[in-house]
Amino acid sequence: MANPFRLPMVPRALRNLVSRPATRRYPSEIRPRFDGARGTIEFDVETCNYCMLCMRRCPAAAITVVREERMWSIEQLTCIACNVCVEVCAKKSLTMSRDSKHVHVRSEVGPQGQRPGHEEWHGADPALTAPVKPAAEAPTSAS
Amino acid sequence: MKRTTMPFGPQHPVLPEPLVLDLILEDERVIDAIPTIGYIHRGLEMMVERVEYTEMGFVAERICGICSFMHGMGYCVSLESIMNVEVPERARWLRVIWAEISRVQSHLLWLGLGADAFGFENLFMHCWRMREEILDIFEKTTGGRIIHSVNRIGGVKRDVSDSELAAIVVKLDELGTAFDATARVFAKDPSIRHRMSGVGVLSADDARAVDAVGPMARASGVVMDTRLSGTYGYDRLDFEPVIETAGDCLARVVVRMREVTQSIGLVRQAVDKMPKGDGMALETKPRGNPTGEVFTRLEQPRGEVLYYVKGNGTKNLERFRARTPTFANIPAMIKLVKGCELADVPNIILTIDPCISCTER
Repeated sequence: MANPFRLPMVPRALRNLVSRPATRRYPSEIRPRFDGARGTIEFDVETCNYCMLCMRRCPAAAITVVREERMWSIEQLTCIACNVCVEVCAKKSLTMSRDSKHVHVRSEVGPQGQRPGHEEWHGADPALTAPVKPAAEAPTSAS
Repeated sequence: MKRTTMPFGPQHPVLPEPLVLDLILEDERVIDAIPTIGYIHRGLEMMVERVEYTEMGFVAERICGICSFMHGMGYCVSLESIMNVEVPERARWLRVIWAEISRVQSHLLWLGLGADAFGFENLFMHCWRMREEILDIFEKTTGGRIIHSVNRIGGVKRDVSDSELAAIVVKLDELGTAFDATARVFAKDPSIRHRMSGVGVLSADDARAVDAVGPMARASGVVMDTRLSGTYGYDRLDFEPVIETAGDCLARVVVRMREVTQSIGLVRQAVDKMPKGDGMALETKPRGNPTGEVFTRLEQPRGEVLYYVKGNGTKNLERFRARTPTFANIPAMIKLVKGCELADVPNIILTIDPCISCTER
């Protein structure tokens, strides 16, 4: 460490000149997230019994469940990935995937602030379950 | 002499967050400084009125992005003491480990920001490269890099296996070795000494008079560390607070550098002393709704934080208040800024480690 200029950063800076960069070339090279990282909620429509516990316990109110319509939906951009719904789900229908949420571009967001494409729903078509409609179609497992 | 008022902030290259100081100058010398906060007030404390107490922990850890673990922990500790919940042993040790790792993370972030403030960008990059490894540890163990969401009232939600803890200690030891080389730069580099040494001197009496907390007080020779009270497992750790006596900007840098090394040692000690084994209890479920009030003190990276929680027997708390360390350090900062040169103001503001999101909540 004999440094004639008394500049302690110089050895490190010289080493940086010949060493590999610490960063990745991000869009082309993506580090996979670690196991156990909290990313996106995934829903299994086959096992859910629509008990609505996930909806009641969600701190961000991102989940909507309509038991009569057998409809379950989540607003992915409202979800804070806190894992509470996964913890309370008795039927283990919800799992936390480690993949992060998709980034949405402006063209995917509606002009009035609607966010089509962000909401993921399972069950009857939300358009059919809207309150103005008199009755919904028979429960189907759409999507 | 004619006086000039110069606005400093809310947008300024050294400030990551909006703080406003109206500097009253005589020539290049600062005569007075009038602080204004309130640019990023989010009303998080008010949210207790409509968010259930079980969910409020997620709001509490979003008070700040740097000390998010400690805010979540402080909220849960407060509720546990109101509701008389006994936290399992291993969960308490895990909290200590995560808290100390987050202290390393916060200090590395600040050392980088400090280096950037006096124009040493190379050093800034080095500090943040080391911080990235800490964030990787957090992502592996808690699931999140910044917002960890592992604290629940009554314990923690995730276990870290013994082999994983051993790997973390090895990783932190390597990081400590790499950090020693960087710390030498902070301590020895002539340009840093020139900017920091003897600038913004806060004497021990002044630090007590303006109630400085955390590294700010410890750099002035005041023995003040909430961890000394021995709560939350610190009583069983061999712990001596880091004290410097010079009281200038360089002393505040040195305190934080030594605390990085100290925290790595504390993590090592905690891993040695915690009960071993898989499948141990990590959480005691609280029963009923909280009734009563409590003050909780924790030592955050920036200093002592104070929580006041009052429950009224319903599922919504009546009051939640957090007095954060930056709020306590602002009077000390104003005291230091008075009488200094204009060019030293950014350095002095940076060395209190301001976290304005915390302050305004």
